[in-house]
Amino acid sequence: MSVAQTDPVLKVTDLTLRYSTRQGEVKAVEEVSFELAKGQSLGLVGESGCGKTSVANSLMRLLPDNARLVKGQVWLNGEDLLSLSDEEVRRFRWRRIAMVFQAAMNSLDPVYKVGQQVIEAIETHGVETTIDDAEERVARLFRLVGLDPQLMERYPHEFSGGMRQRAIIAMALSCDPDVIIADEPTTALDVIVQDRILRELKSIQQELRMSVIYITHDMAVVAEVTDRIGVMYAGRLVEFGNTADVFRAPMHPYTAALMSSFPSVSGERRPLGSLSGEPPNLLDPPLGCAFHPRCAYATEVCRRESPPQVSRGQQWAACWHPLDGQTSSTGNHDAY
Amino acid sequence: MIGYLIRRMWQMALTLLLILTVTFLLVQAQPGDYASFYVLDPDLPTEVKEQMRATFGLDRPLWQQYLIHMRNTFTGNFGVSFGHFPRPVMEVLLERLPRTLVLFVTATGASFYIGFLLGKAIAWRRGGFLEYAATISGTTLFTVFTPAFALMMIWVFAFKLGWFPVGKFLDPLVWRGSDVTANSVFSLMLITALAFAVFAFWVLFALKRKGNTGMKRLSIPIILVAALAIPLVWALSGIGTLALDILKHMVLPIVTLTLISFAGTMLLTRNSMLETIREDYVMAARAKGLPEKQVRDRHAARNALLPVVTSLIYSLIFAIDGSVIVESVFSWPGTGMTLLEAVRSEDMPLVMGAIVFIGLFSLLAHVIVDILYVYLDPRIRYQ
Amino acid sequence: MTTTPPIGSTMPGSSPEPPEIAMGQGRLLLAKARTRLALRSFRNGWSIFLESRIGVLSLLTIVVFAVMAISHPILMATVWDPEIYDPVTGYAFDETEQPAPPSWKHPLGTDPLGRDVLSQLLSSTGSEFVLGITAALVTVAIATTVGAVAAYYGGLIDAFFMRLADLIIALPSISLLIVLSALFDLNLFYLALIIGVLGGFGGTAIILKSQALSIKVKPYIEAARVAGGGHFRIIFVHIVPNLLPLSLLYMMFTVTSAIFAEAVLSFLGLLDLRMSWGIMIHTANVGGYLLGGTRYWWLVVPAGASITFLCSAFYLAGRALDEVVNPRLRRRDD
Repeated sequence: MSVAQTDPVLKVTDLTLRYSTRQGEVKAVEEVSFELAKGQSLGLVGESGCGKTSVANSLMRLLPDNARLVKGQVWLNGEDLLSLSDEEVRRFRWRRIAMVFQAAMNSLDPVYKVGQQVIEAIETHGVETTIDDAEERVARLFRLVGLDPQLMERYPHEFSGGMRQRAIIAMALSCDPDVIIADEPTTALDVIVQDRILRELKSIQQELRMSVIYITHDMAVVAEVTDRIGVMYAGRLVEFGNTADVFRAPMHPYTAALMSSFPSVSGERRPLGSLSGEPPNLLDPPLGCAFHPRCAYATEVCRRESPPQVSRGQQWAACWHPLDGQTSSTGNHDAY
Repeated sequence: MIGYLIRRMWQMALTLLLILTVTFLLVQAQPGDYASFYVLDPDLPTEVKEQMRATFGLDRPLWQQYLIHMRNTFTGNFGVSFGHFPRPVMEVLLERLPRTLVLFVTATGASFYIGFLLGKAIAWRRGGFLEYAATISGTTLFTVFTPAFALMMIWVFAFKLGWFPVGKFLDPLVWRGSDVTANSVFSLMLITALAFAVFAFWVLFALKRKGNTGMKRLSIPIILVAALAIPLVWALSGIGTLALDILKHMVLPIVTLTLISFAGTMLLTRNSMLETIREDYVMAARAKGLPEKQVRDRHAARNALLPVVTSLIYSLIFAIDGSVIVESVFSWPGTGMTLLEAVRSEDMPLVMGAIVFIGLFSLLAHVIVDILYVYLDPRIRYQ
Repeated sequence: MTTTPPIGSTMPGSSPEPPEIAMGQGRLLLAKARTRLALRSFRNGWSIFLESRIGVLSLLTIVVFAVMAISHPILMATVWDPEIYDPVTGYAFDETEQPAPPSWKHPLGTDPLGRDVLSQLLSSTGSEFVLGITAALVTVAIATTVGAVAAYYGGLIDAFFMRLADLIIALPSISLLIVLSALFDLNLFYLALIIGVLGGFGGTAIILKSQALSIKVKPYIEAARVAGGGHFRIIFVHIVPNLLPLSLLYMMFTVTSAIFAEAVLSFLGLLDLRMSWGIMIHTANVGGYLLGGTRYWWLVVPAGASITFLCSAFYLAGRALDEVVNPRLRRRDD
């Protein structure tokens, strides 16, 4: 398969993931499909437990023993990751897809120097051949993320939260990956540091023309840094489109509810909405549209049958009653 | 870091003081008075009685006896042994201490290494055959009735197979006609072993620091050459056969002590690993695409080592008790067997001396564990 | 209110009824709720315990030994003639040579003094249980009290008990017991007491204290304090019961160490006991029968195996219990 300029870097089709537990099978990810072009950034949003971290972990093939990939493919530059052997996956991790972890505080091993932990990744993937070159590279990365290269010789416990997050970003960049997944990259940090790191991450992404997937529950983060947005609910992607479009006119009631539950700093004054009820139990998700118990627009059909995909330009949603009357057509959209 | 160590040393000193006080009180608390019990013993020669009276201040008030007891302990004056009359207790103990040290240090070193290796392996692959086999055999060896197990080892390897001598420290037939004492040969062996260990560590560390891969590859051959040269030098020295005789007598006790004590470390490592495996940095290491072995050894196991080292003191204490039993079964004349003999023959000065030695020994183990911990955990090292 | 109310009735807006009635009912309801909760968590824990094959096997082993212990007095009263089968004073007149190998009349043979080995083995089982359980009870009583008190008061009391525990941990207990045996005549009861005290003020106290610390900060302790509960009441009614599951676990380990210590000291001939597994091996060892190898196996194998099996059974049952009490050790797929 040749990789043309226009082809997406990452293409996920029908990804379905289950966890087997003592209580039964958890349907963590159901038929998730999306794609990501080079240099583009995508935000996956949803409440906690909606399956967004499971999607991220599937992309890295970093799943616990009780996880089972039922079906689906993940194509990275035309290679199906899910069909690779464990050893092939290991080589490909970090080299092609790297990750900025959710828990930056604990993602650095406390007993090694921070620089050494970055060098470890560089050495493993043979990005540089000599120690001196590797150190030189780490110094460059540290400068790029706004850390003093001398900090390489320090241990994680000597770093502040923001510094650790920068170090983790440097680590993610260390092997020039095609895609970086940032899983709640800034939740543990205070707001000012959060904002600064996000801006820097965005400028680095644009500078290096990287593709980034942001996994977050924070709509403000998505609005600030992403080009496209995917909204997840109960393991399914319920709305997808350009960030600007989705923010201007969300189609899925859930998206609208999510957006209204976050205050907008710069935008117009509007009442803060709140989403009542709990996310559904994924052991036994509701029939029909999983959102119907919490949806203000739910009707009989929502309770009975799975919703169709409704498109509007580049934006689509899985809903029986999409918001706004400007729906162009029902049925499959042409995003993939 | 220095502050931490100083604080720990203070605690140790206090503990030592307490141990000495407790031993003094124990002697006082036993039925019958120390003085009447020993000094009025008709079997003891008069001069010993006089000497004891002087050494322990038996006719003085209790608090003065206590101070004398403390002074005597710190100056290493435990009096004269009844059983080894007229040798001083200190002399008997100093002769036997190195033998116990060798048994103890080698066996704990080996059992720690084996226990750690097995522990991390069974935590990494839970539920496998290895986990069942290692847990069952490990706990069986850990809880096995040690004397019976030691006797079984003797029976299998000394009687049936005849690979090793039955017990004791040396074979008189080999030593007949030689003009060197067992202790001088043994001391030379100890010095050699120590020098070799220091050399090997120096080679490994010095070459690792350089960061040059070519030199790194050289370190193993250099150590191997040294390891081969040592027996050669000994064989040519003329006392090689004598050293070999001692070595042969050492194998079985060391193997036995190792086997009964590795399971403690193994099970501890397993539990500790089960916790570190869930840590984010282990997930991160795997995400970085490191080979599984590297994730396990350099990240999960390296961090799991910290609590294991903290609890190492329990294993060391277990091994001290174990070495008393092993020494008595193998008739290995170390501190533990000395204690036992002294208890059996009611040689009280020697009993007191031996228990103080064993107490000091376990305190020293504490100190070493502390230093090791400080070395292993950068969060404490750079406080 | 003069008496301390149970926590339930101090909840704001609990009931408009007269206080006495509310309190009486509240107490009853609370007791019921507690029992139900305890039952449920017990059933839950039990099902986790049953999943551990090693744990179940260990429990069965302990039951088998308990049956052995009970069977001895019954056998002595019914089938066995005390003249021949008494574990200490009996003599097998029916055998020509002592020690005699196993036969129908003496399933495990006789010892060098002509006493029936099976009878010795069974009679010792009972005393091992008595020893182990006495020591364990002493340990738990001391350790829960020390742990709860140290955690509750903190400060100097805490520092004192923790230093003491450090000191006791630093002592090699077998060596210490050897010395004690030189100074005093140790019998089963004193031995159990000493081992129990050492365990209770030692490592177990440290572990129970850290558990008590986490209980101390729970809201219901605060509630009890606000309601005017005295120190004594808070410690013994609210903290100690919550320490019990963990102390049960450490009881198991104390039983192991008590039985082991007894066996070692008996083997070395330092204890003042009538009969025990350790003494059986000691008798054989003193007579020089142990190095005869397999020829006199019945003198050492039954006793040695019993010590090993009972010790490991308590130890492994304790570890299986640990997985129930300590969820971090469970498999990842819960």
